[in-house]
Amino acid sequence: MDRVISTLIGVIAAVVGSGIIFIGANKLFDVAPRRWSWFTSLLGGLTGLFVFAILWANRVIASPVIWTLVATIIGTGVGYLLGSLTDTRARLVVGAAGGAVLGLIVGLNMRDVILVFGEGNNQFQVGTPIPNINYGELALWTAIGLAVGAAIWAVRGRSKPIARSLALWGTIGWAIGAFGMPDLNTASRENAILGATVLGLGLGAAAGLGTVPDAIRLRRIETGSRKYIFLTPALFFIAASLVVPTIRTFWLSFLDGRGEEAVGFANYSSVFTDANIIDVSNWTGIFGSRMFIGGLIVIALGVILAKLAGTRRGDAFEFGPGTMTPVVLGVFLVSFAVFATLRGTIINNLWWVFTVTSVATALGLAVAVLADRSKRENLAKSIIFMPMAISFVGAGIIWRFMYIARPPQREQTGVLNSLWVWLGQVSNSGTGKTVAAAVLLLLILGLAYFGFAGYRDGNRGMAIGSAVTALPLAWLIYKFLGPGLGGFAVVEATGNIQSQPIQFTSERPFNNIWLMVVLIWIQTGFTMVIFSAAIKAVPGELIEAAHVDGATESQTFWRVTIPQIAPTIGVVVTTLVVTVMKVFDIVRVMTAGNFDTNVIANEMYDKAFTEFNFGVGSALAMILFLAILPIMYYNIRRMQKAAV
Amino acid sequence: MLMRRKVFSYGAFLLAFAMIAAACGDSEPAAPPETVVVTETSIVTETSVVTSIVTETVVAENPLAGTTVTVFGPESSDTEAGAFQAALDLFAAANDMTISYTGARDFSDQINVQVAGGNPPDIGILPQPGKLADFARSGDLVALPDAVTDLVQSTTPEGLWSLGNVDGVQYGIPTKADLKSLVWYRPALFTEKGYAVPTSWDELNTLTDTMIANGDTPWCVGIDSGGGATGWPFTDWTEDLMLRFHGGDVYDQWVMGPNNGGIGFADDRVVQVFDAIRNLWDKPSGTYAAGGTIATTLFGDNAPPLEDGTCLMHRQANFFASFFPAETVYGPEGVDVFYFPPVTADIQPVLGGGVFPVAFQDRPEVLAVMEYMATSDYANARQRLQKLANGGAADTVSGFLSPHLEADKSLWTPLEQSFLDILAKAELFRFDGSDNMPTPVNAEFWRSATAFVNGDIDAATATANIDANWP
Repeated sequence: MDRVISTLIGVIAAVVGSGIIFIGANKLFDVAPRRWSWFTSLLGGLTGLFVFAILWANRVIASPVIWTLVATIIGTGVGYLLGSLTDTRARLVVGAAGGAVLGLIVGLNMRDVILVFGEGNNQFQVGTPIPNINYGELALWTAIGLAVGAAIWAVRGRSKPIARSLALWGTIGWAIGAFGMPDLNTASRENAILGATVLGLGLGAAAGLGTVPDAIRLRRIETGSRKYIFLTPALFFIAASLVVPTIRTFWLSFLDGRGEEAVGFANYSSVFTDANIIDVSNWTGIFGSRMFIGGLIVIALGVILAKLAGTRRGDAFEFGPGTMTPVVLGVFLVSFAVFATLRGTIINNLWWVFTVTSVATALGLAVAVLADRSKRENLAKSIIFMPMAISFVGAGIIWRFMYIARPPQREQTGVLNSLWVWLGQVSNSGTGKTVAAAVLLLLILGLAYFGFAGYRDGNRGMAIGSAVTALPLAWLIYKFLGPGLGGFAVVEATGNIQSQPIQFTSERPFNNIWLMVVLIWIQTGFTMVIFSAAIKAVPGELIEAAHVDGATESQTFWRVTIPQIAPTIGVVVTTLVVTVMKVFDIVRVMTAGNFDTNVIANEMYDKAFTEFNFGVGSALAMILFLAILPIMYYNIRRMQKAAV
Repeated sequence: MLMRRKVFSYGAFLLAFAMIAAACGDSEPAAPPETVVVTETSIVTETSVVTSIVTETVVAENPLAGTTVTVFGPESSDTEAGAFQAALDLFAAANDMTISYTGARDFSDQINVQVAGGNPPDIGILPQPGKLADFARSGDLVALPDAVTDLVQSTTPEGLWSLGNVDGVQYGIPTKADLKSLVWYRPALFTEKGYAVPTSWDELNTLTDTMIANGDTPWCVGIDSGGGATGWPFTDWTEDLMLRFHGGDVYDQWVMGPNNGGIGFADDRVVQVFDAIRNLWDKPSGTYAAGGTIATTLFGDNAPPLEDGTCLMHRQANFFASFFPAETVYGPEGVDVFYFPPVTADIQPVLGGGVFPVAFQDRPEVLAVMEYMATSDYANARQRLQKLANGGAADTVSGFLSPHLEADKSLWTPLEQSFLDILAKAELFRFDGSDNMPTPVNAEFWRSATAFVNGDIDAATATANIDANWP
């Protein structure tokens, strides 16, 4: 309970604090154009306050409160004067004097003792910040600073007075020469005063050499400031949570396992030579696989069909459900043959990307189209969208229960296996398989009627669709009556009938597919929602015009709707590719990467944390990052174009 | 109205922003996925007995009062983790401090994550001396104070404490010893069916075949550990058989690795052991795997089928007792163990394991808890509480064995005392070899063993894969 309350108080304090800063920053720049001197005095005061607070917090100056207060007051005064005075000489005097006084205060209060923190092994020391000035170096750096200032002035077109540029850059050079170069940790008060006072004087003079802005510049300051107010927090968080870790990972990927010695590209080469990560040695096996040959035949069939149907209509090819289905099916068969023969983490990842992206996109699109304008559209879409609310880990655990296989002598508790074994029982009992075959036969007769009706009405899509759907049913009848179907078999030795569950998660290579099903189940809801919105945004006039021209529903869909939502398809596909590429949780929960189901993200985790090899782990992370980068870039460019 | 909505969305943005900031700033240690609930009853009934022992050592002005110590370890079953937490709570209650134990099945990964992230627990319970040495050499561990080192070295067998000693400095305390060369079975069932306890490897194989011929299922096997450590039961089998087939010297060479003058996994003798295990497990109708296949069966899931007679034997360490239901009867009438038989009767090798608490933080309260774990008070308290959690009957096997030489032996059943005797007197005792190998080798051993057991690769491929990871 204490923790809850303290967290709550922390949250409220943070909200109020960030609110004040955020609103305050906006208000500050609201004031700027109207009352410039108020703005500058506030700016001066805040500069004094923050500079001194930061110096104190970093243990540079000793006594905090009183001098911070004094600095705030002096800063406010100098700011006010610089905001209202227009006489150049007076401004210079005020700025230089104010800066020098602040610098002097810092110099006088610079800590001159060495602080010790902690005890025992955890002890550490903080030296004093007072420099050990080397006058030669100081002069050199100041000269470099002045030279840079002159150069910048020249490059900027010499429009502003050279003195300001010289003062600013000369002082920066002085600061480097005084505090940046020599070793600190002396206790020479003179050095402290000299270094800090000249620093303050220089910066003050630079400020004094500026001018009070005219109305146009005031307006520009007001509008230009907003983007920084809004961007700074976001940029800060992105830098802390994304940019810095990325750079560090990149760096680690060139070091050894414990991040100590540089090893060059050894981590990367070890990734690409590891047979567990990529192994294409038996690529010749692809051409021998039945799936590959079958896939090629189906593709050829589809292409011939499309060609025939197209010539009849005067097009090169016809794109429709009847002709696209075999092509898509064939491509899937061929790709599965390829991915199942080659092995390794990277191959698995590519398999995931191909299958999940295409299936989730296709299913989402199909549901969006079919549900569109139907009676219970919202209910259907809600149900399909629901898995989106389940985390990947949760989904992995749920599906592990769906897939669980129990020993043959026990009842199957996994949904899929109990169905499978039940099918086996049906196909092994005389009456059971007769009934099943009869039911299937009725279904085929129904489909045959639809096919005939479609042929009669000239609706080729319906005819071909029915025929295609009937084929697997016929195959089922064959399986039921012939060799038997489902997880039930006669053990030859004993003659007993025993159930034969499927080892969904451990039977290679298609256990990968069963894992992908989980992600497809989750992502279909996402794609469906996006496509549904896109389809509803297709102008009704276009659809109507197509209908008036005599297009069928199917033609309207393929030739009007699809081109209209093409940009959305692009966005969905790229988003999915990125999500799938970094899939981790599902694999981790369901197989932990065993049984040839490893993916890059899980391999990265294994290498970095199970084997404690940060070099290879980081190299894998970088490979994943580099693979995703172009897709992200493409996606962002696309969105930018869409916005224009 | 528009204005109001704008203000509201500003507010929502700021709230989310602040939540993130607060979440980042909160120094609460990240809780590992599986937390463990302490069995309250066990503390209540036992506190009075044991606090009296502990409180004697407590001085009036207690410097530990109000402090908190976090402990993270691999023991995550209700029985083991509950008893461990309860034993720690006794010390915590006596000193007005808080000790919280968290157990995770994937401890071996999680501890690496936490150490790498600069956020280790105060005390880690390491089951792998190899990892202990890695951590010690990279400066992550705090050496035990001299007094505790003396205590540990004088009250535990040298064979065990030396595993927590790296380059002459004592880091770990052997608080728990496991006797791994055991086969769990039900004597009554054996008698009923006319089987005799085998006394040699050949007899074990013959018995297996006889059982299959009679229609019984001889073995229960499962090697899933729910995460990165899946496969470790196979490594235990390998070690037990390496000791039995080839003796202690070859075993030591094997643990040493090919690059340090030892032998690799690809050595014929190791491959032979791999194949011997598969031959035993893969006999048709010879193995019951509750999860469908051996590789997908959680090792703890072997307890119910053994108890209900679905299978007749299960080789697992003594800690397996904590996986049986609380009402389980131990001994001749219930579940019992026999010694995993040797090849010949003249060498009786013993494979052991154990855990080693190590300190990651140099704070007085952390070292005080470490010292407590080195005492016999801790050993006795843990045994009382774990026995209670596992049933509490006089003959209950708790699953906990203490290597502490001054522990109160009467707290353990005669069966468990015989385990302790075996551990103390074994002529050929070896610690879990894979846990002594370098972390990458151990990890690949688990991974390749899983693939090998699943039939995905053959022994030659598996052993070659493992050998590729020797440093």
